[in-house]
Amino acid sequence: MEFSKFFNSIIKLNIILIISFSISVNSFILLPNINNAFYVLFHLTFIYLIFYHYHYYLYLVALVYGILFDILLLNNIGAHLITFLFLLMLFVLLRKYLIRLSSYQIIFIYFITLIILLLIEQFLANLIHNYKFNISSIFNFILISLIIFIPTVFLFRKLDK
Amino acid sequence: MAPKFQIKVFQISSLIKNFTIISIVTLSFLLVFFSKSDLYLINGIKNISNSVIIPITRVISAPLNAFSNFVDEYHKFRSLKFENKLLQEEIVRLKKWQTLAIQNSRENNVLKRLLNATDNNLILVKTASLINRNDTIYSKLINLNAGFEDKIKKNMSAINERGLIGKVIDTTSNNSRVILLTDPNLSISVKSISDGIFSLLTGNGDGKYLVSSFIKENKMPRLGDIVVTSGTAQIFPVDLLVGKVAKVEKNRFFVLPFVDFKNIDYVQIVTSK
Repeated sequence: MEFSKFFNSIIKLNIILIISFSISVNSFILLPNINNAFYVLFHLTFIYLIFYHYHYYLYLVALVYGILFDILLLNNIGAHLITFLFLLMLFVLLRKYLIRLSSYQIIFIYFITLIILLLIEQFLANLIHNYKFNISSIFNFILISLIIFIPTVFLFRKLDK
Repeated sequence: MAPKFQIKVFQISSLIKNFTIISIVTLSFLLVFFSKSDLYLINGIKNISNSVIIPITRVISAPLNAFSNFVDEYHKFRSLKFENKLLQEEIVRLKKWQTLAIQNSRENNVLKRLLNATDNNLILVKTASLINRNDTIYSKLINLNAGFEDKIKKNMSAINERGLIGKVIDTTSNNSRVILLTDPNLSISVKSISDGIFSLLTGNGDGKYLVSSFIKENKMPRLGDIVVTSGTAQIFPVDLLVGKVAKVEKNRFFVLPFVDFKNIDYVQIVTSK
């Protein structure tokens, strides 16, 4: 009982963040899209934490994961760190409007936020560090997002219950 | 007394909260601003990421890695009979080539002595093994278990027995990162062996082919031509094997690298003499 009390949904979501981060920065030759799927899952979890469990410790989470993603994937600090912090600040500004929305509208905004987040990261990587990205990889991310979005939301709702 | 105390606590906590948030945002923008500089802090963060975080992520992703290895072993096992037949044929072919190579090597040595020519222009700095790979949408990088303590420096070339792999882009005390040829962010200057046509190649983004981004005098190489580093950009040593021209289009051509980027275990870091 004590253990389950300690092991609340925020802890579980943070464990998902750690696992998805670890898998997304390692590549597996025979499972080529698995790291992309976990990369999307990381973003989904992070947005979910912001939307439903906002706390100012998330700034620290954004700082740590932003730096690590930038160094491990891009070798330069920038794109992920700016995007994560920008998302947090934007959420604080728009929170009072988000509360008024229905659950379906929230889900729609959740998905749109995910796609915009992934696009902004690539755009910033291109803008700040001149990293090239191609359209096929963007479509790949959108496809992965479409596939894993609904099951992930169900999983998170179950964790929250 | 109690409500007053509560208000005071709230004010202090909100002050700490705001201060922490502002500090994090300021620190982030400073890190972004100085990320390309050689500051001690930036190098420290990179060092920790490479030497501490990567091993942790490898432990966490170990089950998936084990599954991937299992699938790999299963595929290898299934193709064992076919591979055996191929290898037997290759042994016969290689034995013929070996005889010819020994003859050529002897001739080569004699001719070199006659011409008073200098030997190979490469210096082997270190042979390192692969720690992990970051084959993502952003970049195609590998991490090696040797760093500046092993005299590895930025911009040194990484090769294996098949040819050029990439170049070192970052080093820490015991680790270094190599950007692969297949990364669209890396350009290499090359020439074709048969015609000496100079061009620039970059990764195609599919992780398989290299594509020409500039061709000197718009001369197209022939299909099947072997492409080597030209040495003109003074980053890669001259005459390192890169690949074979696999496809020629109107304004560009595609090169299939000799290196199998999916099977890199050991890498040699080399530099020019």
